[in-house]
Amino acid sequence: MIDLFSELFDMFDGMDMFSVQPVIQKDNRKCPVCGRTWSDFRRTGRFGCGECYQVFRSGAEQVLRQAQASSAHSGKIPSKSSADIKAKRRLEELRKQLKTAVNKEDYETAAKLHAEIKQLEGNGAK
Amino acid sequence: MIWYNDVNDGIVISTRVRLARNLDKTPFPAALSDEKKAEATKSLHSAITESNSVLSRDFDKFELDDLKRTEKISMLEEHLISPQMVEGKGHSVLVNKSRTMSIMFMEEDHIRLQVIMGGYCLDEAYDMADKVDDVIEESLTYAFDEKFGYLTACPTNAGTGLRASVMMHLPGLTMTGNIARVMQSVSGVGVAVRGLYGEGTNAEGCLYQISNQITMGLSEKEIIEKLRNVINKISDMESKARRTLGEKHKLELEDKVFRSYGILKYARSMTSAEAKSMLSDVMLGQNMGIIRCDGKMTPIELMVKTAPSVIMAGKELTPAERDRDRAQLIRENI
Repeated sequence: MIDLFSELFDMFDGMDMFSVQPVIQKDNRKCPVCGRTWSDFRRTGRFGCGECYQVFRSGAEQVLRQAQASSAHSGKIPSKSSADIKAKRRLEELRKQLKTAVNKEDYETAAKLHAEIKQLEGNGAK
Repeated sequence: MIWYNDVNDGIVISTRVRLARNLDKTPFPAALSDEKKAEATKSLHSAITESNSVLSRDFDKFELDDLKRTEKISMLEEHLISPQMVEGKGHSVLVNKSRTMSIMFMEEDHIRLQVIMGGYCLDEAYDMADKVDDVIEESLTYAFDEKFGYLTACPTNAGTGLRASVMMHLPGLTMTGNIARVMQSVSGVGVAVRGLYGEGTNAEGCLYQISNQITMGLSEKEIIEKLRNVINKISDMESKARRTLGEKHKLELEDKVFRSYGILKYARSMTSAEAKSMLSDVMLGQNMGIIRCDGKMTPIELMVKTAPSVIMAGKELTPAERDRDRAQLIRENI
């Protein structure tokens, strides 16, 4: 290649330009499962394991929002997790209802909801 | 049935659906040492085949490290493994008897489940992949996040892990000079157009792969529906281009088709690129009713069977010998 523009590329070096914030602040944490870091992801564009999505959650979410239609999955759920996920979603819903009931001082409903939540929690949902 | 022997409408040649899946709490293949990779593969194999009699009966297992390079390339050309699996180490694959499904291990993700069929059958291919996915899931736990869906090494596969693609033969759009515009317009709607063997490969023989880019935020059915809309549109445009060629450039088109047929029928030496381009002409001629070939193999089958590695079939041949054997195979079968 004939190098015509190398001078152009460093012409901004000495100038006070817009301050560009890196998307994620310096993050030295390592994923406990695969040992990879956020900068490993930045370098390769690949995560080291499923756990990385949890460890580097906000970065992952940002990347997914850019690369995908949305950062929320709306497709298939593995049948094993589906019971768990449904239970979790139900629990969230019940907690919301409980809060509303307490605010309304509807203690009868609140007691019922409380019992249902206790039962679900007892089954392993959190 | 092997995809290239199945019937197709002359424009959509084959359909492919791929699901990317990973094991929970296990580093992805790129983050595993060779030793750990072999261990993970072993446990995957036993989890899948030992617990599922259907799968173990219907599938043959291939350890790619034990195969010759030419054997691997011929699996690549049948689309049963990916280009990365030809080069790397520690890969293996389960292929069903009818060679429509392959379960690849230790590619970029732990499991890549693929269905490839002749013709235009996105729903059928997805349903088949979905069922086997359910069977596999019975014996292991996938890396799955409530919000992000199925977790994959590359975020561009996360969510559904679904890549659906069809192979289209687009000589009309190519000859009329419209193909670049079509490509450009579909790239704006989340659909990718690539050459025959995936990313970075050329569209030899006017064959293109059209696939979804988005894998998250839409359900599997929605992804397939959107892709189908694009494919139907491209298919209409190709038909229109063919009609125009047939009406306004009839003689030139017929001349091109018969010249190509003549060369394929009588040549004594032929490169892979030349064969693909001429077989593409004959395929178009057949679909437009210009020519009838009653040989033993269809042009698309000949394209697959005359790819360099398939011609070699495990033998060591010089390029000149390959070109000679290719010409002979085409001559005898077209």
